[in-house]
Amino acid sequence: MGAGSRASCAALMAGYLLRRVLAAIPTLLGISLLAFAVLNVLPADPVLTWTEAGAPMSAEAMERLRAELGTERSAAARYADWLLHVAQLDFGRSLRDSRPVLDLVGEALPWTLLLNLCAVAAIYGLGLPIGWAGSRRPGGSLDRLARGLLIVVYVVPPFAAALLLQRVFAVRLRILPLQGVAADDATGPAGQAIDLALHLALPTLCLALSGWAFAAHFASATFRTLFAAGPLAAARARGLSGFRLAWHFAPNAAAPFVSLLGAIIPGLLAGSVVVEEIFSWPGMGRLLLRAVEGRDYPVVLTLMLLSAGAVLAGQMLIDLLYPALDPRLREVVGAQAPSHE
Amino acid sequence: MRLGGCPGRAAALLLAPLAAALLAGCSHPVGPERAGGRFVYPLPIEPATLNFVSGTDQASVLVHRLVADSLVDHDARLRTVPRLASSWELSADGRVLTFHLRRGVRFHDGAPFTSDDVRFTYERIMDPESRAVGRSDSFQPVEKVETPDQVTVRVHYREPYAPALRSWEVPILPAHLYRGADFAAAAQNRAPVGTGPFRFVSWEAGQRIVLEANRDYWGSVPEIDSFVFQITPSPDTALQALLADELDYARLSPAQWEARRHDADFQRRFRDVGYVPLFFYYIAWRGDGSNPYFADPAVRRAMTLALDREGYVRSVLKGLGRVTASPFQDLLPIAAAPVVPGAAGAALAAGSQSPRPMAYDPAAAARLLDAAGWRLDPKTGFRARAGRRFSFTLLIFSGGEDHVQFSQVAQEELRRLGIQMSIERLDWQTLWARLKSGAFQAALSGIIPAPDPDSIYAMLHSSQIEGGQNYAAYRDAETDAWLEAGRRTVDAAAREALYRRVEARLMEQQPCSFLFDPAVAAVLSARFEGVEPSPLGILGYFPGAAALRLRPVAP
Repeated sequence: MGAGSRASCAALMAGYLLRRVLAAIPTLLGISLLAFAVLNVLPADPVLTWTEAGAPMSAEAMERLRAELGTERSAAARYADWLLHVAQLDFGRSLRDSRPVLDLVGEALPWTLLLNLCAVAAIYGLGLPIGWAGSRRPGGSLDRLARGLLIVVYVVPPFAAALLLQRVFAVRLRILPLQGVAADDATGPAGQAIDLALHLALPTLCLALSGWAFAAHFASATFRTLFAAGPLAAARARGLSGFRLAWHFAPNAAAPFVSLLGAIIPGLLAGSVVVEEIFSWPGMGRLLLRAVEGRDYPVVLTLMLLSAGAVLAGQMLIDLLYPALDPRLREVVGAQAPSHE
Repeated sequence: MRLGGCPGRAAALLLAPLAAALLAGCSHPVGPERAGGRFVYPLPIEPATLNFVSGTDQASVLVHRLVADSLVDHDARLRTVPRLASSWELSADGRVLTFHLRRGVRFHDGAPFTSDDVRFTYERIMDPESRAVGRSDSFQPVEKVETPDQVTVRVHYREPYAPALRSWEVPILPAHLYRGADFAAAAQNRAPVGTGPFRFVSWEAGQRIVLEANRDYWGSVPEIDSFVFQITPSPDTALQALLADELDYARLSPAQWEARRHDADFQRRFRDVGYVPLFFYYIAWRGDGSNPYFADPAVRRAMTLALDREGYVRSVLKGLGRVTASPFQDLLPIAAAPVVPGAAGAALAAGSQSPRPMAYDPAAAARLLDAAGWRLDPKTGFRARAGRRFSFTLLIFSGGEDHVQFSQVAQEELRRLGIQMSIERLDWQTLWARLKSGAFQAALSGIIPAPDPDSIYAMLHSSQIEGGQNYAAYRDAETDAWLEAGRRTVDAAAREALYRRVEARLMEQQPCSFLFDPAVAAVLSARFEGVEPSPLGILGYFPGAAALRLRPVAP
């Protein structure tokens, strides 16, 4: 491959990326429109939802507030107004506390990222070894036992699992904190790190539960194909063993496990809402739930847009990783967009 | 030490990836040591802002009460008590209210508190930019606020206004910190400075708000060291956290309460501090003649008699509620409204001079309806008058559990009497619009009155049919006159007599069927004492949280 063809490959890549980004715009618009429509159909009123059970308010005061918040305008007018501002990267302010939406996101996002990274690590850390073990002796007693257990874990609804975990580890045994991200008296970097790890334990476990069965099953099938008798024997015949043998198969193995990530992430995002609510985790899921309850549409719309954007960006990233991992795809990437759906 | 032993081995196996952290945790106490008197109170949702004037949501108000002081406040029996004002007097014509402020009071930053802070707070409340929702209503009759010197505030009213004193239960802002700053975005809105019994320490977004005792408080200094508002969105988690000693107070749902109330261990560890809040449900019968049924007081009486409110409270609310006959139930007597100790139990019904609710009596209801001409048609099984069937629609809020459940029970009860009631479930916005337009026959709603009988004015006065909350379109010259006089009469006894007349009139006229007040089941850790239940909870009165203390432990 000469320098020229490498340059044209990069140009093709850039073109492909641009097409993907442009294609994402209507998707994002559609998602925001749908979110806006749903918000307007759901029964509630931002004014009433956050004054209910608060200070008593006269009808006149409510009307004044509504006029200030602009909730009396038509839905279409509000949506158009919002889009106009988003185009200038102004995501507006929360109706509830008048703080910039991006400030709220900035506070919540790191917690959600941390929790989800830990959950992914937990899913891979347990799912892959179990899948590996299963692929060595498919149908063996260990394989069946592991799969049975994982299925049980998979079908337990997250909120039930969460309550059970809280009951056992926080109420009965009292070895793990029940909620939140930190105790307010942890001192020193080491103390705070341990405190954070302890607070992460139950929510991570709860979030990982539903991913394990899938990951283990997927890993088992993948390993079985990868280490099919033929190629393995061929590699061994060439004198490869141990670490070198594993390294030989690594590129082939990497691709499926990257796409596994793509399959796990949407589920994690959905699970985050429940887990964050139950464990009082101050992340994006809880922010979204509060905003939906309060019909705080600037916050809801921004969160919808961000999470849709994140999923699309993730897909794009995976598409870019593929050619890097698999030389065969580098040849075709310019000709047509790879599809791994 | 909260960690008895180290039963972590099995757990460590389960939690393989986190085993290291977990084992480390066994030598490290989970959660803070709380021997020094740290009280943790759950909030389901974060306060919107800690700006004392703009923050009118429930969570904000709870925090304000501890960090800031108001001129006057109310005790657990809703009696007015002094706070930043040491005394006050009303002019003979009832138009000038003069407050004498406590001397030597300082804000948490050391700046002195003066009459200027009071006037500044008033001005911010009246400024529409402040979004002081609902706060400015009770200051509308104010003509001007004068501050002749640093310790005197003189409030002039356009006319005698009986609820005037109560309206000064607003927390006082530090003028020196807000003046010149952007009111909506000031740093103090998330790190407030007040004169109250607790000073602000920190607000960790989405997690907790920490306060510590103000050792320089002008009143009795709190005995506990710190007060923590822990953000706990899920009621299930709140109960678990209570059981794990991570919380010292929690509200319980009727189901949670029912499951625990007979548990001896629970009884030993927690004390019942349930209460009946200032809230009641009612059905407004549109009585302006726009429908053929509810302009007749006899029919409205029959409707009240036909609804088994007792049965609903007993079976659906598990006893967590009280049948009511009057919107003034907790607001009278004005000087000392009855307090309800402990939500569950027989004490609920006692201690009020308000009229007794009409008992459930479908036979009496049938007689009233017969006499009013609504006779049962044996062919259809429904009542009719002059060929017109008794068939109407009840509007309810689709998101309210009690709205939905009570209306379904009522539908069946009325059907047995030969009345056809359809239920229309609406979202708040639509329900609100329909109620205001008057285009309905009957509607189930709830009201949170302010702790003064004048707050019922908006519901009953004929001037409030257009634009107000008089959804029943109740128009009665005598009621109007009594309500107007009640607003102007400053003498408590004379004022109460007026509202008692309104109460008696309502029993006859039944413009609305007053249904029931749902109670709140709440428990306090037995490690603490010093607070009592009030219609506004354990924090909703003065001194409230400032009086919390650890219960002495027997050696």
